[in-house]
This record gives sequence, structure tokens and C-alpha cells, in this order.
Amino acid sequence: MEEKKKMDPRFQFVTLHQEESEHIAAPQYSYWKSVFRRFFSSKPAILMLIISGLIVVLSILQPMISGYDPLNVPTINDFSTHFLRPSAAHWFGTDNIGRELFDAVWLGTRNSLLISFAAAMITTVLGVIVGAFWGYSRKMDTVMLEVYNIVANIPFVLIVMVLVYVLGSGIPQLIFALSCTSWLGTAYFIRVQVMIIRDREYNLASRCLGTPTSKIILHNVLPYLISVIVTMISRDVPSFISYEVFLSYLGVGVGQTDQTLGKMIQEYSQYMQSAGYLFWIPVAISALISVSLYIVGQTMADASDPKTHMQ
Amino acid sequence: MAENKEKILEVKNLEVTFKNGKKEFVAVQDANFDLYEGETFSLVGESGSGKTTIGRAILRINPTSKGEILYKGKKINGKLDKETDRWVIRNIQMVFQDPAASLNERATIDYIVSEGLSNFHMYHSDAERHQKVVDALKSVGLLEEHASRYPHEFSGGQRQRIGIARAMVMEPKLLIADEPISALDVSIRAQVLNLLKKFQRETGLTILFIAHDLSVVRYISDRIAVIHKGRIVEMASTQELFKNPLHPYTQSLLSAVPMPDPQIEKNKKLLIYSGMEEDSKTDPRSWQEVLPGHYIYANESEMVEYRNKVTL
Repeated sequence: MEEKKKMDPRFQFVTLHQEESEHIAAPQYSYWKSVFRRFFSSKPAILMLIISGLIVVLSILQPMISGYDPLNVPTINDFSTHFLRPSAAHWFGTDNIGRELFDAVWLGTRNSLLISFAAAMITTVLGVIVGAFWGYSRKMDTVMLEVYNIVANIPFVLIVMVLVYVLGSGIPQLIFALSCTSWLGTAYFIRVQVMIIRDREYNLASRCLGTPTSKIILHNVLPYLISVIVTMISRDVPSFISYEVFLSYLGVGVGQTDQTLGKMIQEYSQYMQSAGYLFWIPVAISALISVSLYIVGQTMADASDPKTHMQ
Repeated sequence: MAENKEKILEVKNLEVTFKNGKKEFVAVQDANFDLYEGETFSLVGESGSGKTTIGRAILRINPTSKGEILYKGKKINGKLDKETDRWVIRNIQMVFQDPAASLNERATIDYIVSEGLSNFHMYHSDAERHQKVVDALKSVGLLEEHASRYPHEFSGGQRQRIGIARAMVMEPKLLIADEPISALDVSIRAQVLNLLKKFQRETGLTILFIAHDLSVVRYISDRIAVIHKGRIVEMASTQELFKNPLHPYTQSLLSAVPMPDPQIEKNKKLLIYSGMEEDSKTDPRSWQEVLPGHYIYANESEMVEYRNKVTL
């Protein structure tokens, strides 16, 4: 009491509110909201997202409208329609038997995208599931390491070529051949990541609470790998597109009746000197897809890493 | 006081060995102690002495190579059937040392606290589960609104309280607190210790407290075991141990406790324990009782010395 009287009148006692001090003033944190905010703060990524979105939409809609069929060639004997340069009437010009390149390109893009997305999807889903359990189980590790060592030492292109020869050519066969062994690489990569995270203390805590391994993988390990998985997808899709182009160029990709970008590049490469547009337009489209998808994927991978959310 | 209480946990001749290829490392050997219901038992020792290993062996994170651990008379080390395993998990819980590392950064507090509840379906409806989470958070002084937050938004003390809430929501009988305050700021250590004491008062919880700081241990525990290089060297009630620290290692630990008085601190003589000379062939050391409840690891000639000291 004595002291209170002596106190400077400009000061006064306040009571401590225990509950107030526990309150967190920051707004609620939401992982996915932060991811998208981060992603859309990058202008190049938005541009590339628009470009790749346009390509995807065009490749889905345009073949539906044009009804293009590479085997239906009424102009084959009308030499006046062959090798027309790009113009207002023929946007991308026409080829050696008078087919519209504009129609052909979008059908080819559709099939190439279909192949690469399907192969990337299978590779990722299978790779992540197998890799997650591979990283956890010691028994599985000894077996899978041997399998991986054998498969990883055979050149990928060789495996794909042999498979396509055995299964015959066609889009489903090519998807199967591309994803047949590549998921092992993904699984191995995920295994290493899981092994890094596996022994962290919060996983021990979960085990002490009786959490089964599958639930630990789903809730404790995979959320940490989102950024890594997105990086892998953004790397896989363009690489599968270039594999398709490469294999079709070698003539072991899709069948005679299927139209893909790779097949077009292979077919028209003989006109590189005489009618260059036939070769360069599919090449440019394929490059555009790869670059835009890669940049979108990389920005997404950065954005999905929560370390970038605090800035 | 301890004698008339029921034994909740018995550790007998426990040995834990880590194998790395052909190399073997004995982390804990010949550990013997009992925990009585409702008491706080502390394991004290320097880092690397095996105190955490003992705690983790009880939780079955580290496999044991010899000896037995009995919980309520039932063996809980080695291979267990599923039912016993779940029974042990429900009864023994742990609070971890590092509050930053022991919480899943990508899960909400609601998920973290209710993880054990959902593993054992300890609720009938989602509303009941949420209510249990909220009650657990309130019991450690946190707010209901924290349930939807992520661990990185909390301070170290708050996180450690979340860790305690996660363990206490399971309503365990035995809590293993593995250096729960050594990673915390000095100003909030008391808060966490008092919280543990509060739970003990309210629920009759038994606590196995693992620490390296004798001043903290003195405040919280009923009995203390001092462990050195994987071997328990002295065990007694807190009062007895501080009154009659017999083993040279215990004395050196006591001399290392900082004094909040610069005069005493300046003139304090630090005792350094260099380990025991081995003459095990002629006079092997064993686990012996000096006074009722006061055990020490010593050989016959040392025992004579210790007995003289005690009776003086």
C-alpha cells in the first residue's frame, strides 16, 4: 500500500489476463490459400499458365469442331491444294497431300498431351504409393533395391522400344511402355525422401499414440512431400512429351493412323528445306508446351513449399 | 511413503543394446527400479548416459536386449500381441523433449491432439471428439480457437503444452516426460512443471521424469535415480539423496548445480567424476541397499565407507 502511494501518478497497475496473452493475433493460416497466393504473385507463371491453358483448351475443342481425320484425304489428287504456305485461308498452310496443318497440329497436340499426362499420372501415383511404403519397410527395401538396380541399369529407351515392338504400336501401348518402368525411378526418389522424414520426432510421437503406418504416411509424411511431388510432375510431363516425339521420330511410337506431334515432326522432317513451316510449326508447339508446363510446375512447386509462405 | 503404494511399473535387469552392423553398443545395463502409483520418479544423468533410452525402452521405441519391463505385473517388452500393445499405448504416454520437432507442422492442433483419440475411437461423435480436444487445450491453458491453428504459430512453451495435451487426452496412468523443459526458455519452465504437477494432483498420474538438471528434479520428484554411462549408480528419495549424496558421481552432479549467489558461485568447488577404477575381479560391484530405500552401485570396500558416512 505504501508503495502504491509513492508511485508516479502517470503509471497505474493493470491486471494480467492470462487468456489474452495466449491469443494469436495473426489471421488464420490456410495451406492451399497460401499456395495459390504465392503462385499468382509470379507474373511469368500466370502468363505460362494462360498459354498452357489455351493450348489444352484448343487441343480439346479444335479437333471436335474440325472433325479432322488424317485418313480422310479428298484433296490427294488436287495438286493446287498441296504445299500451300500459311495464309489467311490456311492458317498453318497445307501439307504434301493437301491436309490442313492447323487441324492436324491440334489433333496431334491432343494425343501428345494425352500420352504424357496419362503416363505422368500413372508414374506419379504408382511411384508415390510404392515409394512411401518402400521407405518404411526394411524387408521391402532389400527386394526393391535389387529390382531398381537391375531396371535402372537398362537404358530407358531400349525398354520402351522393346515393349512397343512386343505390344504393337498405339497410344495405350505407348502410355504403358512409358510408365511401365519410369514409376520405379519416382518410387526410389520418394523412398529417399520418406527415409529422411521417417525418423523425425513427431513420427515417433504418432507411433506412441498408436497411429498405424498407413495413417502416418498419409498425414505425417506425404504432406511434406507435396512440393517434391509437384516438382516431379512438372519434370515428367514435358519429358514424356519429348520421349513421345523422340520415339515417334524413330518410328516406334504410335501407330500409322494416330496423329501426334512426334509423328508429324517425323513425317514432315523431309520437307525441312522445301516447306519448312510443316516441320517448324509442330516443333514450336511442342517446345511451347514443354516450356510453359515446366515453368508452371516449377512455380507451383515453389509455392507449395510452406517455407515461402512467411515472406 | 513409497512402500505401501502399489507398484505400477517394474524394470528388472534391463539392458538395451544398439547394433550397427557388427559393432554393438550397450546403452543401458542392469537397470533396476520400480515406479509406485502416483509418484514422480526422476532419472538424472549427463547427456548420452542412457536416460532417454530407458524411457524409450518402456515405450517400446527402443527394443530391449535383456531383462524385463512389467507394467501392472504384465510383461511389456519384447513381442506383444495386438491387444496388450494397445492397452500399453492407452496407459503409457510420453512428452517429448523438443517441442519444435515433436509436432507435425502440416497438421492442425485439432488433428494433433485428437490423433490418439481417433486411433482408439474414444468418442461417439465428431462433436464429442472436438469437445475432448477443446477440454484438453483448456486444461493446459490454451484457447478453443487454437484448435484450427498450425504448430508453427505457437511459442515454445505453448507447443510443449500442446504436447502435454496430446498425451493427457489419452488419460494415461503413466507419463514419461523426456526432458520436457530443457528446450524451453527459463521463464516458462515453471509453467510446464506446474502443469505436470497439476495433472498429477487431479488424476493421480505417475510420472517418470527424465532430466539432467538436479535443481529442477528436486522441485518435482519424490524419488531420484542417478544414471552414469548406462548404469544406475544411486537411487533414493529426493530428501535422502540431497541429504546424503554418497556416490561420487551424484556428488559431482550436485556440485554442478548453479547457485543464484555470486559469492557462493565464485568459491564453489566443482567435483569432477572420472569414472570408477575397475577391480571387478577381486571385488565386484553390485546393487546394494545402504539405508532403507537408498540404493547404491558399489563393491564391499566402498559399502563399508558409505555405511560409515551414513551413520555419522
